[in-house]
Amino acid sequence: MSNQPRTYIRFPLSRRIEHIFLMISFITLASTGLPQKYPTSPISVFIVQALGGIENLRSIHHFTSILVMFAIIYHLLVIVYMIFVLRTPWSMMLSLQDMKDGMQALLYNLGFAKAYPKMGRYTFEEKFEYWAFVWGYTIMGITGFIMWNPITATMYLPGEFVPAAKAAHGGEAVLAVLAIIVWHMYGVNIKHVNRSMFTGKVTEEEMVHEHPRELDDIQAGTANRVPDAATLRKRQRIFYPIAAILTVAMLAGVYGYINTEETALKTIPPISTTVESPLQTPQP
Amino acid sequence: MRLRIQVVQPAFWTVGPLLALGLLFFALASFATPTQAAPDKFQGEQPSNDFCLACHQQQGIDITLGSESLPVTINPIQFGLSVHDEEGIACVDCHTNISDYPHPDVKEKSVRAFSLAFNESCRQCHEEQYSTVQDGVHQRAISEGVENAPLCSDCHNPHTQTRVIGTESGQLTIAARLHIPQTCAECHGDKYEQYKASVHGKALTEEGNLDVPTCTDCHGVHKISDPTTATFRNSTPALCANCHTDPAIMDKYGISTKVLDTYVADFHGTTVKLFAEQFPDQPTNKAVCTDCHGVHDISKVDNPQTGIALRENLLVKCQRCHPNATANFPGAWLSHYEPSPQHAPIVYYVNLFYKIFIPTVIGGMVFFILTDIYRRIRNRAKGVKHA
Repeated sequence: MSNQPRTYIRFPLSRRIEHIFLMISFITLASTGLPQKYPTSPISVFIVQALGGIENLRSIHHFTSILVMFAIIYHLLVIVYMIFVLRTPWSMMLSLQDMKDGMQALLYNLGFAKAYPKMGRYTFEEKFEYWAFVWGYTIMGITGFIMWNPITATMYLPGEFVPAAKAAHGGEAVLAVLAIIVWHMYGVNIKHVNRSMFTGKVTEEEMVHEHPRELDDIQAGTANRVPDAATLRKRQRIFYPIAAILTVAMLAGVYGYINTEETALKTIPPISTTVESPLQTPQP
Repeated sequence: MRLRIQVVQPAFWTVGPLLALGLLFFALASFATPTQAAPDKFQGEQPSNDFCLACHQQQGIDITLGSESLPVTINPIQFGLSVHDEEGIACVDCHTNISDYPHPDVKEKSVRAFSLAFNESCRQCHEEQYSTVQDGVHQRAISEGVENAPLCSDCHNPHTQTRVIGTESGQLTIAARLHIPQTCAECHGDKYEQYKASVHGKALTEEGNLDVPTCTDCHGVHKISDPTTATFRNSTPALCANCHTDPAIMDKYGISTKVLDTYVADFHGTTVKLFAEQFPDQPTNKAVCTDCHGVHDISKVDNPQTGIALRENLLVKCQRCHPNATANFPGAWLSHYEPSPQHAPIVYYVNLFYKIFIPTVIGGMVFFILTDIYRRIRNRAKGVKHA
């Protein structure tokens, strides 16, 4: 089978499911959030009406955000497991090298550098996008909390923080959507079609071009080294209770996020309509 | 909200028999009391108003309906000033069952029953008004058996009603406009008291200001819709915006015309706008204008006791729907201001940040992508394999 190009597993199934979830939830949040930012646009009105009304749309937005919170908890636990139990190199961490790589790529594109930078498991473009997400969801989480719980927020903050949170939430949303459309679409669909997030696999040629240093590590046998069974078990014994505590704490955080306060009454007290003075007998 | 009155001149009313009637009047004037000498029959001829008034101007005459008595005295001076007299409407044009004396018996057993039965007679000339009333809340009350709900004659006493639409302007006369609250106050006295003390009512009742709304501007004239419905509440922002986005009115008082835009830009207004477009008759718990500003008791926002420009006064309004709100909470509402360095600086600078940050980031991305495309094209042209 020497004709068959050699492939490498880039993303395990769990990571691919995470991505699909992230994709669906992002589209859902954006398409239920932006109509609230631009309520006068006919497109917004169409979306709102198609989704069964503004209250429904807002419920979908809130519900999706709760799912995202769960996904973030899962993601954090996976990171902790990988770094402290498997001792996988923290390849997603930003470093000065990424800035150098980015600069070199730009210079190469402009014709001032001879070669394209040789990058590892995650290129500077991918890291940029990942950390943009971390930044974006942090802002969205904080500002979302303030809007979800304005009474609690204004117990500690000036009232103006609530509309300011709304402004930031909307600004961040526009930035995120545009970044996905421009950066992500170009990077994985236009520059060349990269399906590894769905298939999990990349070809050797792709590895040579995009992740040469990772390929070196794989070929040198230094990548994906798994600790021996005894060490793994020892670390897991420490990890599981800590992970359990962290999980409970974070779930409690989510519960608090969505149940801190009863912001408003469901029905407004009616305005009285009594007709108090009786009609006098009419005179002709 | 413009009244339109159709005055149909009765075809049978001619000035032909004027001379004869004049003579009759002369004859009648010499009668001391109607009981002493009943007038003759008038075959095929209408009795004139003067003929009727000869008896009906006497003080203290009445008829008995069941156990009630209905005064039937007509003040000829007041009637002479009325639009009906001005238009030459004869008593018998409305009182069609009467053509001579003694009058036919009245079947109704109460004054109100008599008025209810008589209401239809307005229709022969005022069909448009009569039919619009049918869709209103007053007519609904009547059909539900609320006898005291107003009939035409309760607001427009046909014997004294003066002209309400100017003959030349075609619009409601100033006097009529200023008189409307008193008409409604006949029944809605509590609302009138609130209105009279409000910023709108005070200007109208004390200064005769014609810019401020009177009852009918918000409630309609003949077709008065039920103001307690969700439909009415949902339409409140548009109703208030009729005047409050009109610079021709607002500029005089230094009031912002951005009140609707700033409302719609905020959480409550965004929701109500989108909600009301889809479910105009469903209730929403998001605030509309009246929830904060009041209804008949709207005060100036800087009024020290009730003005909602003062945070502590606004907090009371917030707490109607947000019972747990505390002192900082009203600050979450930007008081119809567009964010600026003076009003809501935090919001202003957050917006400014994203106004700069978004184009910078996206612009940087686009620039990098363009260089990448450029390099790929160059490499392909040179036959070099791209990295």
